[in-house]
Amino acid sequence: MNLFRRSLFALHAAAAGEPDPHRDPAGTLLSLHLSVSYRDKPDVLADVNFSIAPGEIFGLVGGSGSGKSTVALAILRLLETRGGSVSGAVRFQGRDLMQCRERELRQVRGRSIGLVPQSPLSALNPALRFEAHFREAWRAHSQASWRSIRPRVLELLRMMNLPEDEAFLRRYPHQVSVGQAQRILIAMAVLHRPALLIADEPTSALDPASQQGIIDLLARLNREFAMATLYISHDLASVAALCARVGVLQGGRLVACGPADDILKGSEVPTSPPPIPPPPIPTSRIDPIVALRYR
Amino acid sequence: MVRRAAILALTAIVLALLCADWIAPHSAETQFRDDAAARPSRQYPLGTDALGRDRLSRLLYGGRISMVMAPLAALLAVSLAVVAGLTAGCLGGWWERAAATLTDLCLSLPWLFLLLAVRALLPLNVGPEASILVTFALLGLLGWAGPSRIMLAAVKRHLSSDFVLAARAAGCHPLRIALVHLLPHLLPVAAAQFWVTAPAFLLSEANLGLLGLGVAEPTPSWGNLLRELENLSQVARCPWIAAPLVALFLVIGCSHLVTAAAEYES
Repeated sequence: MNLFRRSLFALHAAAAGEPDPHRDPAGTLLSLHLSVSYRDKPDVLADVNFSIAPGEIFGLVGGSGSGKSTVALAILRLLETRGGSVSGAVRFQGRDLMQCRERELRQVRGRSIGLVPQSPLSALNPALRFEAHFREAWRAHSQASWRSIRPRVLELLRMMNLPEDEAFLRRYPHQVSVGQAQRILIAMAVLHRPALLIADEPTSALDPASQQGIIDLLARLNREFAMATLYISHDLASVAALCARVGVLQGGRLVACGPADDILKGSEVPTSPPPIPPPPIPTSRIDPIVALRYR
Repeated sequence: MVRRAAILALTAIVLALLCADWIAPHSAETQFRDDAAARPSRQYPLGTDALGRDRLSRLLYGGRISMVMAPLAALLAVSLAVVAGLTAGCLGGWWERAAATLTDLCLSLPWLFLLLAVRALLPLNVGPEASILVTFALLGLLGWAGPSRIMLAAVKRHLSSDFVLAARAAGCHPLRIALVHLLPHLLPVAAAQFWVTAPAFLLSEANLGLLGLGVAEPTPSWGNLLRELENLSQVARCPWIAAPLVALFLVIGCSHLVTAAAEYES
């Protein structure tokens, strides 16, 4: 189905005499070779190098502090706003984003590359209703009136398993659950049907049931919109379920990259340190009734 | 409790000023030459001044001008501060440094002397309406620096937030980020600054009026009514001439109580 949609798009584009915007001459959608440093923290990323094909779901895994989110922000050239210094190349749809001006980058952000941030509630403006969030995301790249796009937004809400009514759009971020906030962010990220979706740990703040819902949703978006996805996570099970290829980051370096089966099967992928177990309670101090209840 | 009492007192004062046309026994400028410098009586509840004008009427009409124009000047100053803070914070770099330097410069100058110097440069023989506008416009235009520094700090704090990063990632224009995403977060800070600045401007107008550089006669304001207090021995003999001072003290004290209680509650 994916292949069919992409082929159809390419056929239309060729008929109109236009190049397929989703396809790099080299056959990749995104290829990057990045190094990142901060003034007080050099080599946050060192020669990180991978590529993503159109319609592919690429997983980026690694422990906390390995530089996964830094990769996401560096691709969008947003690290500079946080004091980071990026060098190298980010080739996306045939052009190097590192050479683009801010105005050109704004055209890419949101329209060609969508970002689903890590923490859903802090990524939504607490002073704005959801309607305003969608309207601003829409207005950034389109002149069409908000009224004309409203049905499309409601359709997106339905697709995200969110209430598709006007009352929901009038809510503020603090009036919904974390899982709903995450779905809102995904809906905003795919509003313009970007060629690449960067999902930065979209399930880290969710309970297992909601996690599975988000993973299913990302797989469905990939199927239905032929949307390539950079899935950043430290949850190996979700990466294995979703991604065809995986890159492993460790200490700011890409230590492995290849098919998910090869990388994840039996390998020791560095993840977050295990939680510290609670100190053992001397058995003499345990209330026999409590012990019975929890046995 | 204290805040509620302060709000009630402020409301009563504002209502009295608004109803001056009905409450005031006479017009503010009518002279009763036969009753010049009269003591309080049924006809003149606070007596008359040296020109025979009813003090209570002048207090009510003068309060109207002070209580309308000082908040307007505060609104102007806080609006300028929001624009300066938002522009400097969003543009960053050279603009931010320039705004910070200008703010520091304005804050380091002795504010009241600067106000006096600028007002003294302007002609003294301006009409009453022009003098009202000049006095309060000066207050508004020179009082932006303090609130601006607070606005800039608020803008910087919000610029590093996740929701601004998300807006940038969505491709939003910087102007939209400033106006739609940041401005709603600045409004509570601006409101607090307004409540702090308005009483300060009321006091500044009183200072200017006391020195004869504020609102020109015969138009009354709480500032120029205070000129009667120059003669301390007269205050001891006729304490009712201190009524404008009491009104000013009440308004500023109540405003302070309202803002302080709000800060404490938040």
